[in-house]
Amino acid sequence: MPMGHTATAQAGSGGLTATEHRLANGLRVVLSEDHLTPVAAVCLWYDVGSRHEVKGRTGLAHLFEHLMFQGSAQVKGNGHFELVQGAGGSLNGTTSFERTNYFETMPAHQLELALWLEADRMGSLLAALDDESMENQRDVVKNERRQRYDNVPYGTAFEKLTALAYPEGHPYHHTPIGSMADLDAATLEDARAFFRTYYAPNNAVLSVVGDIDPEQTLAWIEKYFGSIPGHDGKPAPRDGSLPEIIGEQLREVVEEEVPARALMAAYRLPHDGTRACDAADLALTVLGGGESSRLYNRLVRRDRTAVTAGFGLLRLAGAPSLGWLDVKTSGDVEVPVIEAAIDEELARFAEEGPTAEEMERAQAQLEREWLDRLGTVAGRADELCRYAVLFGDPQLALTAVQRVLEVTAEEVQEVAKARLRPDNRAVLVYEPVADETDEAEDTAAAAGDENEEAAK
Amino acid sequence: MTELATMDFHPQPQAGEAKPWAFPAPERGRLDNGLTVLRCHRPGQQVVAVEVLLDAPLDAEPAGLDGVATIMARAFSEGTDKHSAEEFAAELERAGATLDAHADHPGVRLSLEVPASRLAKGLGLIADALRAPAFADSEVERLVRNRLDEIPHELANPSRRAAKELSKELFPADSRMSRPRQGTEETVAAIDSTAVRGFYEKHVRPATATAVVVGDLTGIDLDALLGDTLGTWTGSSAEPRPVPPVTADDTGRVVIVDRPGAVQTQLLIGRIGPDRHDRVWPAQVLGTYCLGGTLTSRLDRVLREEKGYTYGVRSFAQVLRSAPDGTGAAMLAISGSVDTPNTGPALQDLWTVLRTLAAEGLTDVERDVAVQNLVGVAPLKYETAAAVASTLADQVEQHLPDDYQATLYRQLAATGTVEATAAAVSAFPVDRLVTVLVGDAAQIKGPVEALGIGEVTVVAAE
Repeated sequence: MPMGHTATAQAGSGGLTATEHRLANGLRVVLSEDHLTPVAAVCLWYDVGSRHEVKGRTGLAHLFEHLMFQGSAQVKGNGHFELVQGAGGSLNGTTSFERTNYFETMPAHQLELALWLEADRMGSLLAALDDESMENQRDVVKNERRQRYDNVPYGTAFEKLTALAYPEGHPYHHTPIGSMADLDAATLEDARAFFRTYYAPNNAVLSVVGDIDPEQTLAWIEKYFGSIPGHDGKPAPRDGSLPEIIGEQLREVVEEEVPARALMAAYRLPHDGTRACDAADLALTVLGGGESSRLYNRLVRRDRTAVTAGFGLLRLAGAPSLGWLDVKTSGDVEVPVIEAAIDEELARFAEEGPTAEEMERAQAQLEREWLDRLGTVAGRADELCRYAVLFGDPQLALTAVQRVLEVTAEEVQEVAKARLRPDNRAVLVYEPVADETDEAEDTAAAAGDENEEAAK
Repeated sequence: MTELATMDFHPQPQAGEAKPWAFPAPERGRLDNGLTVLRCHRPGQQVVAVEVLLDAPLDAEPAGLDGVATIMARAFSEGTDKHSAEEFAAELERAGATLDAHADHPGVRLSLEVPASRLAKGLGLIADALRAPAFADSEVERLVRNRLDEIPHELANPSRRAAKELSKELFPADSRMSRPRQGTEETVAAIDSTAVRGFYEKHVRPATATAVVVGDLTGIDLDALLGDTLGTWTGSSAEPRPVPPVTADDTGRVVIVDRPGAVQTQLLIGRIGPDRHDRVWPAQVLGTYCLGGTLTSRLDRVLREEKGYTYGVRSFAQVLRSAPDGTGAAMLAISGSVDTPNTGPALQDLWTVLRTLAAEGLTDVERDVAVQNLVGVAPLKYETAAAVASTLADQVEQHLPDDYQATLYRQLAATGTVEATAAAVSAFPVDRLVTVLVGDAAQIKGPVEALGIGEVTVVAAE
């Protein structure tokens, strides 16, 4: 049977390897064998996320992800969940700015079922999609929004900061959960059009990792996915490019019913996939990753002005990444006290760069995070898809940790100096109010790196 | 209206032949200082997980000092006889390690994860922490202040707030279980380094502790490593502490924690029931899964997938504390959140699901799917060293044999529909459930009272 062209395996770090294949309809396939445990992970990334949404239809990519679990031509209702779980598998789907992923981890002998299920909905979702599913999942997603964002303290912080950091009209200005009004406005026809536009084999990467027979696995993939027609109707996403520096300090003060004052900020950082982004990751780790970081030592241990203080990195490929600062104040401490200390620490870091010991610690932490991510078949399958979809080469997943370890202290200092400055950030300040706020805008919770919405 | 697809369809494939998999059996031993050690080699797992269990349960905390076990647990990573607090954190991170510690009803637990290549370093640090913690005045003072700052954040979180209220309702006021695990503002404020050291000296010693080590141990001389690290920890011998019985008042009633303006109501509906020592446990696991283990279980089939009232409602059984003689207990509960206007209808449906279950029982198909899932997911659930270590540590903490989990899988497979139904119905009897609702009382009180699921009282959120 025709398989399209086949790439050969390359050695990756840690002895991991992956092979690449392409079906005639354009579906890219990545396989990676690992026979230590009798399990197999299936992961499918569609190259569509909230950045592809248009004005008035925010949240559609994520709502659509839920609809993918509502049945297809040969799968009834909740059959996708029932069949996978009944086979001893686990599954879910998530939506971010840049992609939508679906995954099943199966006992190895149930792999074929997962492939059959994914193919059925890729090729025939619209045979089952109806108003009833649409109305039901619209309500579920609205409740997801309430639970995760609207009904918890600081819950909409990420949404607010994203809206500040990416200008009006920018594809990353809104987050994947979308607005209540847009969720209400979405129609069945919108969902259908979304599927017809973005859910095609040539807009997806399928990875299978674990205790598999690659030849048999490829034969199954050809059998189930091979006849799904590819199509090229997908419009290019709106341009996400921005100047390297915001150029001014943006600021919003939120007065809400929250338990403590908070200072949050988003710094504009280099795109994912660049060496400068890895350098920024190390800079943020030295400054705010864990309990030996500069900001933790300064604010929580020494000044004792904060309960928590840390930095996170939201890696983005189609727009500048975000460095995410989150500080909750201690007792009656006022925000300017925190802000002054942070500016002092950032300036000192830009001036001096990291010490050799700080570099060693930061690299050890990031290395361990990679070991964790690649330590499960599901984690590996997801990373292979990520590098294939965003950077065109899954092999890069296997050597990513090596690249982080190659970054020098000078590069870390350079990116800190260029980017971690007051004129390159959006600041969000929370000031508690005593009584309850007015109606709907009473929000929510532990923000940070919440950029994914899940079906389950 | 739907549209036709243009792909070739094939029938649903059949499963291949299952490959054998068994929950790993640990090797049990004891160091010269009395420390019990469980070890388990998991090929390919490059991040090693180490769990250390201390017989320092919350009921051992002195009166008025609730939270001292928590502060002690946190203070373990705030300096030793070799390193200051900052240095200790730096050394851990330099090893690419993480160390978490927390105190719960059965005892204090430290969890270390470290790449296999740096296991010696990681074990050395955790051994230092246990053997010679600094408990410096200023660090303890900081941890106390930090803990006090955390409390308002927890009270503002609907699910944490609900859990606090349910404990208060269920357990007698003089029981440690009725009060927050990590203490209240009043008790935490009373904790100082003397109190922490006193608790440590009284309850922390190798003779009553257990370490679990799981991961790829290829080329590692674990006996030598342990001898040089945890083996140097000394302490007097002691008998294990007696475990007090757990009692609870599950008279059916409703407590609303008032949060004016809340857009959702957080539900937590619970009581106590059998733990893993009880023969009903496998059936209870099955029945609880069928009721609310996943989005295709009975509760979500109605509340989420039919009505759209929620993002998800789950039922679960979580062991509170076990005793060697089987007198322990588990929390049996249903939790989730529903939008404010549909709070009454959602609870009505929830009770209907429970009543229908009691009247008609589970179906064989439901039971079969549940068994296939619960048993079938084991190889994926236990892929990482951390997952295996955590379950082995749970077994020790709950006074269960080392082969408990392996045996449980066989028991689940042998449990029938009738037993699973009986267990689920007796776990969640409709008139013996304490319901906590964190939400807008002005909007939900009336509809909830109308349901007749028990007397309704309203309390302030803070």
